[in-house]
Amino acid sequence: MMEQAIATYREEAGELLAELETSLLDLEETPDDNDLINRVFRAMHTIKGSGAMFGFDEIAGFTHEVETVFDMVRNGKMTVTKPLLDLTLKSRDHIFYLLNIPTGEEVDRSEGDEIIAGLRQLVPKSDLPQKGSSDVPAIDLPNLSGDDLANECTWRIRFRPIPSILMCGTNPISLINELRELGTAHVVAQFEDIPTLDELVPENCHIYWDIILTTTRGEDAIKDVFIFVEDDCELKIELIDSSGLIDREQGYKKLGDILVERGDLSPVEMQKVLMLQKRFGELLVEQGIVSPEKVQSALIEQQHVKSVRKERSEAPPQEAAASIRVPAERLDQLINLVGEMVTVQAHLSQVSMAGGDSTFIAISEEVERLTNELRDTALNIRMLPIGSTFSKFKRLVRDLSNELGKEIEMETFGAETELDKTVIEKLNDPLVHIIRNSIDHGIEMPETRRAAGKPSTGIVYLGAEHSGDSVLITIRDNGAGLDRDAIRAKAIERGLLSATAEVSDREIYAQIFAPGFSTAAKVTSVSGRGVGMDVVKRGIEGLRGSISVDSVRGTGTTITLKIPLTLAIIDSLLVKIGKDHFVLPLAAIEECVELTREDIKNSHGRNLANVRGAIIPYIPLRQHFCIKDARPEIEQIVIADIHGTKVGFVVDHVVGEHQTVIKSLGKMYRDVKGVSGATILGDGTVALILDMGVLLQSIEQLEHSEV
Amino acid sequence: MPLNSFVRENGEITVTSGDRLTIETAADFSRVVRESLDASHVVAIEFEPAVEIDITGLQVLCSACRSAAQTGKIFTYHGPFPQALANIITSSGAERSTICKHNNNSTCIWFGGAS
Repeated sequence: MMEQAIATYREEAGELLAELETSLLDLEETPDDNDLINRVFRAMHTIKGSGAMFGFDEIAGFTHEVETVFDMVRNGKMTVTKPLLDLTLKSRDHIFYLLNIPTGEEVDRSEGDEIIAGLRQLVPKSDLPQKGSSDVPAIDLPNLSGDDLANECTWRIRFRPIPSILMCGTNPISLINELRELGTAHVVAQFEDIPTLDELVPENCHIYWDIILTTTRGEDAIKDVFIFVEDDCELKIELIDSSGLIDREQGYKKLGDILVERGDLSPVEMQKVLMLQKRFGELLVEQGIVSPEKVQSALIEQQHVKSVRKERSEAPPQEAAASIRVPAERLDQLINLVGEMVTVQAHLSQVSMAGGDSTFIAISEEVERLTNELRDTALNIRMLPIGSTFSKFKRLVRDLSNELGKEIEMETFGAETELDKTVIEKLNDPLVHIIRNSIDHGIEMPETRRAAGKPSTGIVYLGAEHSGDSVLITIRDNGAGLDRDAIRAKAIERGLLSATAEVSDREIYAQIFAPGFSTAAKVTSVSGRGVGMDVVKRGIEGLRGSISVDSVRGTGTTITLKIPLTLAIIDSLLVKIGKDHFVLPLAAIEECVELTREDIKNSHGRNLANVRGAIIPYIPLRQHFCIKDARPEIEQIVIADIHGTKVGFVVDHVVGEHQTVIKSLGKMYRDVKGVSGATILGDGTVALILDMGVLLQSIEQLEHSEV
Repeated sequence: MPLNSFVRENGEITVTSGDRLTIETAADFSRVVRESLDASHVVAIEFEPAVEIDITGLQVLCSACRSAAQTGKIFTYHGPFPQALANIITSSGAERSTICKHNNNSTCIWFGGAS
């Protein structure tokens, strides 16, 4: 159970760290944004609180230090500066390190100590904490501490400031008003300590307060209100009611019990008064045991909790939590099962059609409809907004530009665009690589930019948008652009291009994806070794995506990734060549036309078809896959749009639309070009899934090499 | 009118609040009221309509009320109840709807209903 809680903490802390990073980077742009400052503080506060709760004492201790500094920022005692943000970002990294350190491995505290020392230097001397601040902060009941609670709780707070508090400039009413902002509060000022004028020290505070507060905020949030007067007051916070923890009956404790709990009445005195059978409060006052103010205060508490409970009981039942946390493996398992179901459903359809029983066919169609819905819903569950990864790249740009002495900003768009969780995870490395290249090779040094009449600050744009069943991810920079001639020369030198071949700019730029290709004169710590863009391409192709480059010298480079929305199940076209089935992704397919023997004869062996006046090149797949079976009289050309070019793929028969559950091929088939996976058909046979883009490219390369 | 006191024909002393009954003036206010209570059976406060009041002002009023009750004297106010006093009574949680033992078990004219 504890392990599960620790795993959840790790997960949640990871999310909080991502949020922290985003907020810090945003704060760099708008340092006065109080919302952001509060968000940073809250993230650290929660990481600290929960960390201590689950035994992450290193994290709790370290985060406490950083949080203390940000609390000063929150309270206007410090301003947001670049050094502060640098150190806080480093703190985020250090917390991440502490969070992921394997059990039993010794913690390297040097980085953390350095950060804390740096932060302390930024704090105004007078505000340096006096107490042993590296101690792990005390944490109260697990589900009640922290900033926010799932349940509404009612707290009894006694706030007794020291007499001199007013002379320090603290106004207790401001603190009480802050408490009021946390929820519904009843405040009773207690005047019993106010002496007569002879003894009154007018500048002293002789009042203390009883507050009954109903709030969804945790004890920490209440303590935070008093954070700057914690040494200047007695503060007692007690939980007296919770919608989740304590009884849900409408009534509440009797007056005597409340007074005893508060320490305003002893149990013996209570019993004595109870014997008199009169109204308890009146009796207490009559007998001078408890002051009327205290009775009133207790009555207010009684009334407050009673009304809170009444409201709760009358309110419609609360809806279940809007979202729940589910382990990713369980989702993967769900998708796998849906995949199996899709396969079985295909088999069912096949059998029902073959049987010709109309009732059976109707049932099969109903199952198909439900399976489709189930498939779409299951796939949707795994969709995440890509923006969650954008903040990482903002940080990358910030850190690398600092390292290289460049001035670079990152602009993002389409952060809300959703992609399959697995796709997002696998996109991380390729994107890091492309952005690093943009920063190192694309954006020029400030002086070079100024000399070229450009603003000294370069911009890297990162955006995402939907395009059919794919997402287009664009990485654009306004840097120097690619050197077409240098790339061409290098490609010729390496034998990748023929010196005489006439190739488009796009084809030349595509050479940067060749293994080991680099035109960089020097290798930096960031890039230039020629290792990477080929890996990027492989990574993108591994996602059944494609990558293209466009560049204008002096203006900038745009790299576009086209990524399928999901990796699990796709709509496709099932085709047959000889006895073998193949699957073509439906998204790129435009139409199917017949190819007769006569058409072939008329094209004089040039693999070109005339489709309503347009000449379309085609690839005879039978030939490509060396299938020897007899060729039918009439074949089919499946015409697809690949990067804006119409290309046909010749097959024997088009079986029809098919939901393809993608199964990856084994390691042995990793280097087979043009095949992105396989699927199991309804009758149990295996069909290869063709990657039409790669297939076309590999055939083109083959032809080039033959030339 | 500044913080001051004057004796009426009937012997009652009226204390004028001045603009501020805050920590800066609390000591003076306390002293003037104490001296007035020493000198007269009835002491009344006359508030400036826009008087500023903080907790210390509130405390002096409560303390004066107790002092008067202890010695059987009357501590009251004339004229309109200032809005600032009503506000601080509400915001500090000083409202009372019960009797006050320091006020001879009578209801509080100050905090027992601000309006």
